[in-house]
Amino acid sequence: MGWWRLGRPAAARGGLGGSAVPRAGLKKFVLPPDYSGITIPERPKLKFMEKVPAVPKVKREPRQLRDIRGPSRVATDFTQGQYGILALGGGYLHWGHLEMIRLTIGRCMDPKNMFAIWRVPAPYKPLTKKSLGHRMGGGKGPIDRYVTAVKSGRLVVELGGRCEFEEVKPFLEQVAHKLPFPAVAVSRQSLQQMREEEEEKRLNNQNPWTFERIITANMLGMRRYLSPYDLKLKGRYWGKFFLKHRV
Amino acid sequence: MAALSGPASWRRGWLPALHFIRRGSKAVTRHWKAMHFQRQKLMAVTEYIAPRPAVPQRCVAPRRKEEEEEEEYGYARLLRRQVEEAFRDNRLIAVCQYNYLPGEDMVLMRHYLRKHKIEVKFVLNEIIRPVLSQSRYKNLLPLFVTRNILLVSPETKVKEMLRVLKGVPQVNLLGACIDDTILSRQGVENFAKLPSLEASQGQTLGTLTLLPSQTCSVLQHATVHLAALLDGHIHQLQAGAGQTGSPAGTEPAQSTGTQ
Repeated sequence: MGWWRLGRPAAARGGLGGSAVPRAGLKKFVLPPDYSGITIPERPKLKFMEKVPAVPKVKREPRQLRDIRGPSRVATDFTQGQYGILALGGGYLHWGHLEMIRLTIGRCMDPKNMFAIWRVPAPYKPLTKKSLGHRMGGGKGPIDRYVTAVKSGRLVVELGGRCEFEEVKPFLEQVAHKLPFPAVAVSRQSLQQMREEEEEKRLNNQNPWTFERIITANMLGMRRYLSPYDLKLKGRYWGKFFLKHRV
Repeated sequence: MAALSGPASWRRGWLPALHFIRRGSKAVTRHWKAMHFQRQKLMAVTEYIAPRPAVPQRCVAPRRKEEEEEEEYGYARLLRRQVEEAFRDNRLIAVCQYNYLPGEDMVLMRHYLRKHKIEVKFVLNEIIRPVLSQSRYKNLLPLFVTRNILLVSPETKVKEMLRVLKGVPQVNLLGACIDDTILSRQGVENFAKLPSLEASQGQTLGTLTLLPSQTCSVLQHATVHLAALLDGHIHQLQAGAGQTGSPAGTEPAQSTGTQ
């Protein structure tokens, strides 16, 4: 009872040096996903967004770029859907962007098994533009178009239904690349994982000097060169940009 | 950046910090706004430093996560149950190593074995190993290393099985478990050479009843021997004293009657 080597399984496992010999094992039958609690609403496709609000604004508004700056406090989590597009930077979405999103998603999704919802409002903020070729002065220009402000960390659209992330990811990524700010297609799990990684990074940072610590204690008088908004933004945001690699 | 005269600017509420606000573009720009050098230095100082463990990751053997695949697969459970039933219901279980056999040869081998009521089962090591380690057949564990088949049968027809396997060189007998007795290859061959159960039972019975059958003759042996000797004696006397007369012959007859 001994002419075959009893150490065979160890070699097949592939240790530090060698490559594992592939062996056929038992086929693992994965159960199909359970879509029992999902109902597709009556109008599964994204609804049409107006270029101009129903009551157009008469008074011209100041620029207020603070609606682009910093992290978003609205629409940061999923409501009905399972997959979505997350904005990783601030920017303005105008009617052309919204139409592109609506048409691309409407074309690529399956209305019988998937549904999509907007997480941004229709354009509400009026932007003025002076006519071309004129010198400075002469007052503020007339209203040119309406836009929606999006801060980083906000969901733009949400998708749900009887589908997997891999089915939905290609066209969500395609849409995400066309937006005026950096965006990424996410699912509930991937978003949670992103947040957990961020938290872990923050906790296991070996650098004893963090932006937050220096600015709150005003070490070396750094607040002279920093904005009071940096107390909240903590060095992760600069203008409309979100610095993902920080902290 | 208006050039303000010294004392007049202080009186108007000019502060050195406010000087920076009027310089350059707004806070939020479309382009990447250039940072003040001090801010750049601050950003460089406060960058993320990843933890470095004492032993690098690639020097540590990765621990495989096997917990989730143990009991979750009903299919594996079913196969294990089938194996347990096979071990319980069959008297003969032979373990053979299986090298690749062409389809038709396989079918022929199965056919010949089926004629003697021997079934061929393919088993996966990863299923059979836990089953055996928890049952009393632990010593069969070393046999299940490479691709194996089990030949199971409710009767023990080892001679026919060996004959079929001899004709198939790609299947090698490793060991067997016959009536809860683990046998090696030699043991199986010896077992095949044994006479059948009925013959050995008859032999045992014959040996056992040999002595009782002789008891009767042993007990009667002495008296029979004496009777034979006396008969011979009578014949001698009759033959010798036939001339002397009958009374000599009657005396031994009376003495034998009293005895």
